[in-house]
Amino acid sequence: MKKLIYILPFFAFLACTKEVKIPIPGYEEQVVIDGTIEIDGPPFVLLSTTKDIYSPTDLQAYLNSFISGATVTVSDGENTVVLDEVCSDEVPPGFEPFVADLFGVPADQLGEVRICAYTTFDASIFGQQGKTYNLTVEYAGETYTSSTTLEAPIPFDSVYWKPEKTTPSTEGQYGFSWVTLSDPADKYNAYFWEVKRINLDSAGNERDGLFTPTFNPVFDDEFFSGTTFDFAYENPMSFEDVDIPDIARGYYEVGDTVVIKFSSLDRDVYEYFEKKYIQINNGGSPFAVPANIPSNIEGGALGVWAGFAPHFDTLICKP
Amino acid sequence: MQQVYQSLFVIILLVSTCFAQEEGKTKIKEEQVSLSGTLTSGIDGEALIGAKVFIPKLNQGTYSNTYGYYSLSVPPGIYQVEFRYTGLDTRIIQIDLSENQNLDVEIGSKTQVIQEVEVNAKKGENVNSTKIGQIELDVEKVKTLPAFMGEVDVIKIIQLLPGVNSATEGGQGFYVRGGGPDQNLVLLDEATVYNAAHLFGFFSVFNVDAIKNVNLIKGGMPAQYGGRLSSVLEVNMNEGNNKEFGVKGGLGAISSRLTIEGPIKKDKGSFIASARRTYLDVIMKAAIPDTSPFAGSSYFFYDLNFKANYRLSPKDKVYFSAYYGQDQFDFGNREDDFSVEMPWGNGIMSARWNHLFSNKLFLNVSATMTDYLFSFGSQQDEFRFALESGIRDYGGKVDFSYFPNARHRIKFGTQYTYHIFTPTSVSASQAETVFDTGLAQKLYSHETGIYAQDEFDVNEKLRVNAGLRYSMYQHVGPFTRYIKTDLSNPDSTITYDRGDIIQFYQGLEPRLTARYSVGKASAIKAGYTYNYQYVHLTSLSAVSLPTDIWFPSTDIAKPQEGYQINLGYFQNFQNDTYETSVEFYYKELNNLIEYADGALPSDNVNDNTDNLLVFGHGYSYGVEVFLKKAIGKFNGWIGYTWSKTERVFEAINNGNPFPSKYDRRHDLSVVGTYVLSDRWTFGAAFVYATGNTLTLPTSFYIQNQDLLFQYGPRNSTRMVPYHRLDLSATLYDKPTKKFVDPETGEVKEKKKRFRSNWAFSVYNVYNRANPFFLYVDNDGSFIGGDFQITVKQVTLFPIIPSVTWNFEF
Repeated sequence: MKKLIYILPFFAFLACTKEVKIPIPGYEEQVVIDGTIEIDGPPFVLLSTTKDIYSPTDLQAYLNSFISGATVTVSDGENTVVLDEVCSDEVPPGFEPFVADLFGVPADQLGEVRICAYTTFDASIFGQQGKTYNLTVEYAGETYTSSTTLEAPIPFDSVYWKPEKTTPSTEGQYGFSWVTLSDPADKYNAYFWEVKRINLDSAGNERDGLFTPTFNPVFDDEFFSGTTFDFAYENPMSFEDVDIPDIARGYYEVGDTVVIKFSSLDRDVYEYFEKKYIQINNGGSPFAVPANIPSNIEGGALGVWAGFAPHFDTLICKP
Repeated sequence: MQQVYQSLFVIILLVSTCFAQEEGKTKIKEEQVSLSGTLTSGIDGEALIGAKVFIPKLNQGTYSNTYGYYSLSVPPGIYQVEFRYTGLDTRIIQIDLSENQNLDVEIGSKTQVIQEVEVNAKKGENVNSTKIGQIELDVEKVKTLPAFMGEVDVIKIIQLLPGVNSATEGGQGFYVRGGGPDQNLVLLDEATVYNAAHLFGFFSVFNVDAIKNVNLIKGGMPAQYGGRLSSVLEVNMNEGNNKEFGVKGGLGAISSRLTIEGPIKKDKGSFIASARRTYLDVIMKAAIPDTSPFAGSSYFFYDLNFKANYRLSPKDKVYFSAYYGQDQFDFGNREDDFSVEMPWGNGIMSARWNHLFSNKLFLNVSATMTDYLFSFGSQQDEFRFALESGIRDYGGKVDFSYFPNARHRIKFGTQYTYHIFTPTSVSASQAETVFDTGLAQKLYSHETGIYAQDEFDVNEKLRVNAGLRYSMYQHVGPFTRYIKTDLSNPDSTITYDRGDIIQFYQGLEPRLTARYSVGKASAIKAGYTYNYQYVHLTSLSAVSLPTDIWFPSTDIAKPQEGYQINLGYFQNFQNDTYETSVEFYYKELNNLIEYADGALPSDNVNDNTDNLLVFGHGYSYGVEVFLKKAIGKFNGWIGYTWSKTERVFEAINNGNPFPSKYDRRHDLSVVGTYVLSDRWTFGAAFVYATGNTLTLPTSFYIQNQDLLFQYGPRNSTRMVPYHRLDLSATLYDKPTKKFVDPETGEVKEKKKRFRSNWAFSVYNVYNRANPFFLYVDNDGSFIGGDFQITVKQVTLFPIIPSVTWNFEF
């Protein structure tokens, strides 16, 4: 809604907002597939269903939306592997924090809830650059299919940090992550930007566990195919952190060590993420066409089957 | 095929009436003389539009046209002729009509007595004319109605008429009988206005001090108008006082106005110049301190109207009209190093020449130019982005009015427009790097129309207005067509050179209306019209915004076309004190456009806008009930509409019909003014309307811990009904002042030259929280257990009182 306030600053002071309960017809339950495969990694698939907009939103309702008992198969044309159902209450010791992050459930509650994901330890189906992976999900008599390609990772020419002008007292302390990118010519490229800080916090842990996408993490090369240019991204974690001063929000601080995961995507996956982040950022604004996110899954399910081909780079924030 | 038959029918009808006319001529040739001339106001010399010329002895009469010209053919004789105009003293002149006579008449005078019973020139027109679905507004009269933020706005008053909906709260977009906002032909002194609203749509471009009258045609569009499917809104500017200089103006809560008018040469020519400017920017400047990160954010608009006319000879008159308006919106946030600026505006010019060939043949030649430009620039750190969109039209038209005898009123003519559209031109850069955003696409086209129409009396009871319009359209080069293929392949293009004809469209547009009198005070009217429209408005959002882009017909975007059928019963009561009507309509619209689901305006780059569009059709039907009292201390109207409007697009909603944005089952307006004394006049307006439709998410899901929404069928959700009451009061100063006659010592009264009034308005008196739009909001997190999804309603305007001080001398 921020954008609306921007656009109507002088009428906004008159406007008011209240909660209403009006009928919104047209709900039908749909299967949601959240599947990924990365170079050198196993396929990982979460299945859930859509919920009515007015349905309960407590933790139990969230957990109940996950689907167990489906048959999930991944094939690269040579090998076909049926994925195993791995549930949160039977996680091998030591994997708890990882799984907790993945499901969005606190680690100490993992035993109390049961969310199941589909994955495999069969390395023959781990992601390889240049291959196309076909997904088949069979559930409740329906079959859903999709495919995604692991593109070639595109490395940066360089990564750097430079301080932004803030206040005199914090001069030289805060800045964005900058990179120089040479986009390959004569080829379609689409990118996804995620980050995590690996410097230690006061408790001696790595500051961030998993990678976090930035607010608008995807872009393609429609306007700059074949060119070399510099661009910057903000620090998305800083907005979640209640302890840091407002002036520092969006920035990396001197002393941060940031791992950038810069993944190449195929075109359909890009479309999905592009529209997903537009929907998240528009937040129901009346200035946009209400748009459903186009899925790359056939058969009537929502969600995405996404291949990530990442290039990793480490940025040490120092002047 | 059906359409061809219909056209043939009308052509045959036209031809047969011409023969009938020839026959008639031989019989009554020697028995007819004509009376014609120009009607002007005796007070300020303004040409009077729609003034009535009436011969009681013959029970025959006519109305003056847009230029004040009238012509009437009658048998020779001596007659008392009445010249009537609302608010002016009726002139009755005895005329010996033994031969054709040209008689220019001034109605009313400076010394006119304020009448107890107001004269209504339009008396009886409701049941006499063939006009169906037409409403005229006298701008002077609407000035005492409640005004939003003190700005009297003719478009907001148009929205109070049956069959006309407003787009959103306070918005300028209006929808006529289920048609889109782009389907209204808005004319300012005959030049097309593409966007009649100032930024964000809350105020219209029409400054009430500069305009004389407003005429809305929502059905039964005569053949002289074309290029739009749904309606014509004709706005005529004041011509200026040709007797003496005058100044008028107003100081309001958010804007001020000033108008100067006077003779160029007394009784020969006059001019009028009006200016209006809002001062929100001044208020904002004061409200936002220099140290604030938002310093420099401001918004204002201004408009200028100018018009001059000159009578070159008794047979020739020339006019020049111009409008220029500009909006400037700036927003900045220094902390984020972010700024936006949005200038936009309209420039409109028209030059016209009226010529009288004879008492029976009147000619108008017009040359017009319209320019509309919207731009948007933003800057975030070193990233700069600019977008521009606009239209420029050059047009010309020639219209003849021919009055062969008392039974026929014939019009014929031709129109031509050269359009230059710039749907969007985008540029972007990051520091030194300039991004390739493709070439600025311009589209060029020619639009031509020829028409003929005849309004004639078949007999005492039946009057018919039959017309035929033929329109042609060419989309011409230069132009680049991008052909989108499979996503993995590069796009291919077709390039057209300057002058290449890319696409040609044409169409016959039959128009027919008829009035059949059933008794002295009632009539049945019917109408059939077929229309083509060669421009489209693409709208991404649920509200009318300047970012809505005008787009011409191309090889992909076919012209919009449609027909409308009308049937109405009209009855007057108590010697025309009350006018009532019930009108039914059915309307079909083809080749309508919408953006495909998920389209974004930035996609225009290296692409054509029409590649993002999907096409469909729509229909609307309804009944409108109208009760009006135009005479007396108390006047006003009640309008009620029941209607249903649906759209069918193959690519939207799986091809199932869905309600259009403008679908409104019930729409009620009650409007009244009461003149309490010569000091106080009160006004009120109440509206009730079924809630607008919109598309909201029906369900949510989670992907990678992000909350995502799945939307329901297009426009399947309806907001709560809209209703609102506005009140107004106008306090006039005393019309006279006392003075002591220096010779006799007597205390006398004389009329004051300087007049002023206070106009008080209260918008949304009972502070109803009407929905502007709804959105789905979410808060908290699943893990925290405090996650919540709620539907929120945004209300734009609470109760808003305002006061404006108006003056005139």
